[in-house]
Amino acid sequence: MAMIESIAGAQSGRTRLKRSVVLSTLVLSLLVVPLAVAQQSDRAKALSMRMMCVCGCHQILGVCNHVGCTYSHDMLKEIDARVGRSESDDLIVQNFVQEYGAAVILLPAAKGFYLWIWLMPIVAVIGGIVVVRFALVHWRRKAAEVSLSRVSADLIARARREMGPDE
Amino acid sequence: MDIFGSFALILALIAAVYAVGVGIAAIRTRNPLLTKSARNAGMAVFVLVSMSVVSLEYLFFTNNFSMAYVAEHSNRDLPFFYKFAALWAGQEGSLLFWSWLLSIYAFLALFLNRRKHPELMPYVGVVLATVQTFFLVLNNFVATPFQILGQASAGGALTVVAQADGHGLNPLLQYPEMVIHPPMLYLGYTGFTVPFAFAMAALLGRYPGEKWIHITRRWTMVAWTFQSVGVLLGAHWAYAVLGWGGYWAWDPVENASFLPWITATAFLHSVMMQEKRGMMKVWNVWLVFVTFMLCILGTLLTRSGVVSSVHAFAQSSIGTWFTCFLVFILIACVLAFWKNRDYLRSDNQLDSLVSRESSFLFNNLVLLAGCFAVLWGTLFPVISEWVEGTKISVGAPFFNKVTIPIALFLLFLTGVGPLLAWRKTSYDSLKRNFAWPMAGGIAAGVIALVFGLRYIYPLVCLIMSVFVTLTIAAEFWRGARVISARSGTNIFASTGQLVMRNTRRYGGYIVHFAIVVIFIGIAGQAFNRDVQQEMAVGSRMTIGPYTIVCQNFDEVKNPNYDSERATLEILRDGKSLMMLYPERRFFLASQVTETMVAIQSTPLRDLYVVYAGRSPETNRPVIHAYLNPLVKCIWFGGLILVLGTALALIPSRQPVIVLRGATEALSATGGPLPQSVGVAHGDD
Repeated sequence: MAMIESIAGAQSGRTRLKRSVVLSTLVLSLLVVPLAVAQQSDRAKALSMRMMCVCGCHQILGVCNHVGCTYSHDMLKEIDARVGRSESDDLIVQNFVQEYGAAVILLPAAKGFYLWIWLMPIVAVIGGIVVVRFALVHWRRKAAEVSLSRVSADLIARARREMGPDE
Repeated sequence: MDIFGSFALILALIAAVYAVGVGIAAIRTRNPLLTKSARNAGMAVFVLVSMSVVSLEYLFFTNNFSMAYVAEHSNRDLPFFYKFAALWAGQEGSLLFWSWLLSIYAFLALFLNRRKHPELMPYVGVVLATVQTFFLVLNNFVATPFQILGQASAGGALTVVAQADGHGLNPLLQYPEMVIHPPMLYLGYTGFTVPFAFAMAALLGRYPGEKWIHITRRWTMVAWTFQSVGVLLGAHWAYAVLGWGGYWAWDPVENASFLPWITATAFLHSVMMQEKRGMMKVWNVWLVFVTFMLCILGTLLTRSGVVSSVHAFAQSSIGTWFTCFLVFILIACVLAFWKNRDYLRSDNQLDSLVSRESSFLFNNLVLLAGCFAVLWGTLFPVISEWVEGTKISVGAPFFNKVTIPIALFLLFLTGVGPLLAWRKTSYDSLKRNFAWPMAGGIAAGVIALVFGLRYIYPLVCLIMSVFVTLTIAAEFWRGARVISARSGTNIFASTGQLVMRNTRRYGGYIVHFAIVVIFIGIAGQAFNRDVQQEMAVGSRMTIGPYTIVCQNFDEVKNPNYDSERATLEILRDGKSLMMLYPERRFFLASQVTETMVAIQSTPLRDLYVVYAGRSPETNRPVIHAYLNPLVKCIWFGGLILVLGTALALIPSRQPVIVLRGATEALSATGGPLPQSVGVAHGDD
């Protein structure tokens, strides 16, 4: 009887172990699966924030919910699908450029001619500072000339007379 | 009625051409009769264009669908006020509307000054009539709103064909703000023609003195106010209608409306240099010219299809006309300036680098840098297409990266400028004026850091906002305290007196405060959050402190549209706050679907809910909720801005003369003043 009990106990122990293994696998899989989905959609979302909707609404693809837009839904789905196939970010962007044209990227890479987009505002600010500095120096010089020319020789002589002889 | 409107438009063009021709003759011959005749012709343009506008509106209200423009932009079930707004819904009508607003401005400028500035006004009349002529040519020959729908028979005769119903108004425009936003923006755009006319007139006529700059400033302020309101209403429309949770996307058309606003703002600051010190005359004239040219460029961008935009509802080949006109204006400005550049010589020189003058120079530099950056980013896709043959996009990240630092530096200057004295500021005065506001700003920054604010731009914005607010408050406090001490009135009455003595200065400070409030609203964007979820009846979604419970989905029928509507209950801390009804409308006439956003707005945050349609996979409704902090500050700031500008436009009261130590004010016209009498001057 005791043996039977011990066998039964051993069986129930094995069953419990099995159960716990199955349960922990289930819990782990439940934890892992949504995490994987979340990571996937986050990556897709990040990619969609790097692109423009091409319907002409001039909105970032990731935030374009322009109703009646015939592009954004399909574009977002395509990103999801490509991310699901584990394509790299660069490859996805490259494919989108081929499919929709260079205007699909939010900002072109800062190289070659496209570097000018960033350089020109800086050049303009520096140019502006040079102009302001030139204006300030010019005004200061003229102010000095004017203040000197205003003190005429007669005025200096009159001042000397009124001050009396030097002690 | 269409023939009447069309005929009135042709007469308006003839009157405008007459005003140009006779105006030039009047300038050359100095004949007062010719001057009067040109002026009357200029004013008649307003009457004639008004007739044309009234006839087009009549055609809208009588559902005359034999007219192409009416059939394209209206339908029988369109609500009353949208029929009125349909006037500016398309290319042809909006150009007519532009001509009409321009004719109102021209009429007012000519009528109000009919007995003033006899040397200046003939030039003003010619410039205004030239601009009007251009737009009336477009109205008559390029984009006429009075085209009839016709069908040619076999014999060549044309039969008028009336449609049973129209295509309806663009659903994006069927929103109450769209009845106000375009007129405000157009009032801004067209309004800048008047300062342009006065500046050009003063330059061409070599008008003596600085009177013209005072007139130009006042007209610029009027146009600037309309432009500000127009831009803000446009932002609010984008926020409430487009349904993407934001209010400014750096769309080319938005940028186009912002550019002349920036240069006009620069002018409104630098004009003080000319008024007070006779400096920066060349700069000011060019700021007025550039502002007007940017208005035309903005119109070119909106209407030509050069850049793609959700706003560019009226695209056509009209761009060539605007490009030619822009080139014509540029040549006219350069020639006028080159021929009369000696007229714009400065009267005074800069005395010190630490002075109000320098702060205006830097303010202008920063504003113009911002303007250039926005213009460059807007036009770069076009330039890229020319140079590289590839059309690219320049999106919000570029504009944000470039303009945010510029804007924050400008905010800093907003606080610094008023603390500096004209001509020269001593170190002691600087220390005295800066210490407390700067300490307050830094303290606010430290507190924000302690409470966990880690974003750099909002943090800097907070520090600057507190600094500027304290400098403005200190200005009011110092002035009011002096008046209070002299007159014995309490501090509130003294503040009122102070403001009314120099409305321009204190109105300007209120506008500065409005800008601070708007900046705070914009800084809130860094903390935006959003959640999107498929919802069934009874399901919940949580965002920030709010829980959204879906109570119902239903369909609403309307003669103008069918609507799918979600009924959402908003809970906070388990208590029901209110119901929100985001919609998705299907407009029957135009067969277009649009969103109607539902917003629960508080001073601290907006809960912004969009019914984003049904999921294609599950067919369940999708709700997209955004939590946007401090957005209300932007609209509230806009209101303060309007009040401040209105105050600045009111003429200041004469300086109040008070006996030192006495409590009663005396009349200013009382002969020579005894020693004990002080004069409180309002001065910038």
